Amino acid sequence: MNTILLQNLVTPNVSLQAVLPEMIVAFTGIIVMIYDSFMPKQRMVTGALSLIGLAASAFALFSMWGEAPASSWNGMIANDGLRMSFTLVFLFVSAMTILISTVWTERENVPIGEYHALLLFATFGMMFMAAGNDMVIIFLGLETLSIATYVMAGLRKSDLKSNESAMKYFILGSFASAFLLYGMALIYGATASTNITQIASMVGKANFPALLLIGGAMLIIGFGFKVATVPFHVWTPDVYEGAPTPVTGFMAAGPKASAFASFLRVFVIGFPLVSGAQASAFLHESWVTALTVMAILTMTVGNISAIVQNNVKRMLAYSSISHAGYAMVGFIGAGVAKTMQDRDEAIAAVAFYMLTYAVTNLGAFAIVTLIAQKNDRRTEFDDYNGIGFKSPVLAFSLSLFMLSLLGLPLTAGFMGKVLVFRPALEAGSTLLTVMVVIAVVNTAISAYYYLRLIVVMFFRERTTSWLEPKVSGALAAVLIITILGVFYFGIFSDNVIEKFSGKPSVQSAQIK
Amino acid sequence: MNDFNIIDYAPIGIMFIVAFGFAASQILVTQLVGPRKRTATKLMPYECGKDPVGSARDRFSIKFYTVAVIFLLFDIEVLFMIPFAVAFKYLLDQEKLSGVAFGTIAFIEILVFISTLVVGYIYVWKKGTFDWGLQARAEAREEAKQALKERKQQAIRDFQRAA
Amino acid sequence: MEPSLGSYLALSGILFTIGAVGVIYKRNAIGMFMCIELMLNAVNLTFVAFSRYYGDVTGQLFVFMVMSVAAAEAAVGLGIIIAFFRNRVSVDVDDASILKN
Repeated sequence: MNTILLQNLVTPNVSLQAVLPEMIVAFTGIIVMIYDSFMPKQRMVTGALSLIGLAASAFALFSMWGEAPASSWNGMIANDGLRMSFTLVFLFVSAMTILISTVWTERENVPIGEYHALLLFATFGMMFMAAGNDMVIIFLGLETLSIATYVMAGLRKSDLKSNESAMKYFILGSFASAFLLYGMALIYGATASTNITQIASMVGKANFPALLLIGGAMLIIGFGFKVATVPFHVWTPDVYEGAPTPVTGFMAAGPKASAFASFLRVFVIGFPLVSGAQASAFLHESWVTALTVMAILTMTVGNISAIVQNNVKRMLAYSSISHAGYAMVGFIGAGVAKTMQDRDEAIAAVAFYMLTYAVTNLGAFAIVTLIAQKNDRRTEFDDYNGIGFKSPVLAFSLSLFMLSLLGLPLTAGFMGKVLVFRPALEAGSTLLTVMVVIAVVNTAISAYYYLRLIVVMFFRERTTSWLEPKVSGALAAVLIITILGVFYFGIFSDNVIEKFSGKPSVQSAQIK
Repeated sequence: MNDFNIIDYAPIGIMFIVAFGFAASQILVTQLVGPRKRTATKLMPYECGKDPVGSARDRFSIKFYTVAVIFLLFDIEVLFMIPFAVAFKYLLDQEKLSGVAFGTIAFIEILVFISTLVVGYIYVWKKGTFDWGLQARAEAREEAKQALKERKQQAIRDFQRAA
Repeated sequence: MEPSLGSYLALSGILFTIGAVGVIYKRNAIGMFMCIELMLNAVNLTFVAFSRYYGDVTGQLFVFMVMSVAAAEAAVGLGIIIAFFRNRVSVDVDDASILKN
């Protein structure tokens, strides 16, 4: 009877405190969901509840920031700089998205409680992706995020564009998840563990080094889809164009950053260069080279395709692809860093880049949402003709966001770019230097389409009538926060980056 | 695992044989013994005693799809309960032996899991997924309204004709 | 006789490839979705094979997670496909071409 094969029971290491920010977001999501099902008529309460939950979660996060890096839940949850800084980005993106969506949900009578619940669950998934120090957690976080986002993309139920966007996102997204999962299975096969820290200690003496390589390639495909790097970017423009505009803003800022967080965790921390181990050196060199080529392609293809777009949302989609390329430069910089401190600084730089991109991008999407009108009718470049002096506030803020995306000094985008390019330059390898040069050239190319929008707004004659959209209180708050953010991160970036890199990653975390 | 013996499973095998045999014999006996008269009424498809209406190959209403999906979601949760049920007793024993709260933690965890399911159930319920008649009732109301309107108009027309 | 680890891996690799090729060649959303499920099950087989090989339960645990996630994905995916079908009366992905490809 007692033939249950359970030897070596692991002592459970339960620490609710270590996942407090995540738990708060999840509980808020459940409360919002239940409240909405009992009070289907409400329009404001769930939004307010969600904002309160996100604020509480941010508070819990800040109170954890000072703690020493550690891992809990038997090594499944990491408490380090990577998690802290990325989680801050997610909470910010989520709060801003709720505020931006007020315009859209009012206009089109969206099922608002469901939307907020989905957004909170997506945020929860993103936070787990950044916190997970085990492939199981990363996979669960990724799927929680993806499933919520598929539905959000298709929330405009009777609109064919939105349906189509959701369907494409769903099929290609789960296709990518399958690749990611196969990669995880093969890595598990090679190292006999799903824990990132243990994988890092096993890469030098893996059981099947070939499986490690194939698994790594599969992981690159899977994460490449989620981040939208170039050979795997085809879904991005279609999905971004068809999804409701606030959701597009969310997808470009949040899920992309979270995919970067686990991408960094698995590759930079999980597949390091172990001295004296041939297999690990080969693996390390392969992934660095593969990602470098992908980064170069991503930047170039993203920028060149953005030039020919006539739809602002599509243009921003290609711009988000090229920004993923820039962030990958920092990623590779972290991968080739010589010391632990350099590596943590490079990871902090990528997190900072995603923060600056989120601030700028959400501001831009707030204005695009406002101008788009009902059912996103006005998203072409022509719809922006000559609005510059008719609605100066909107036009000047949008110009500022475009300049920040371009990377003009004094704006957030500039500091972000400087910080992510530096570690790759310091590595001193020819390939990486070439990559940084291409990145700088690409920044120059991107000036064309960012400035084109500004030119269209200020110097083109408007032939159709222009109804000045009313800026609601929530949207005004978003604009003020993002504009201040763009300047703050551009001028006082040292404060933020110090905070981000102040906490090293869990390397020799105590497992079991 | 050496104590496996096929004879231990004999009762289950016998039960299967009895069950199949009973079903088969019933069908055979009714076929052989029963009288057979083919009339038009008898060959009609049986729909609870009423005359059949329309084809049997109609499409089903989409609302059954929602029920199927919800079944899919709640069904898969057994996946987590079975391992818990199998391991729980062992974990309790281990808790007594080692003093580490294996069993208690597992119990709390499964409670959290089930309460999450209950929350999902309440949500689905409040959203009206189980109320299959919702749409039908709305349609019936609409029809009744229409009928009332027609009757009124008919009454007006009758009145006008009379006048 | 028990099959070796290699034969399990070969089988799961073949299943995964069939699924991947199916997703690329199928034109029907439901068919594509079924191919994705096939890919997930191929992954499950890999996990279980390695779990057995190492005598480690982590792989089996992962399979539980994958299965429950696959069910959730199926629910959401069918919902999305039905929403598309209601507006378009077709589940052919070639009809999904308003957004230029």
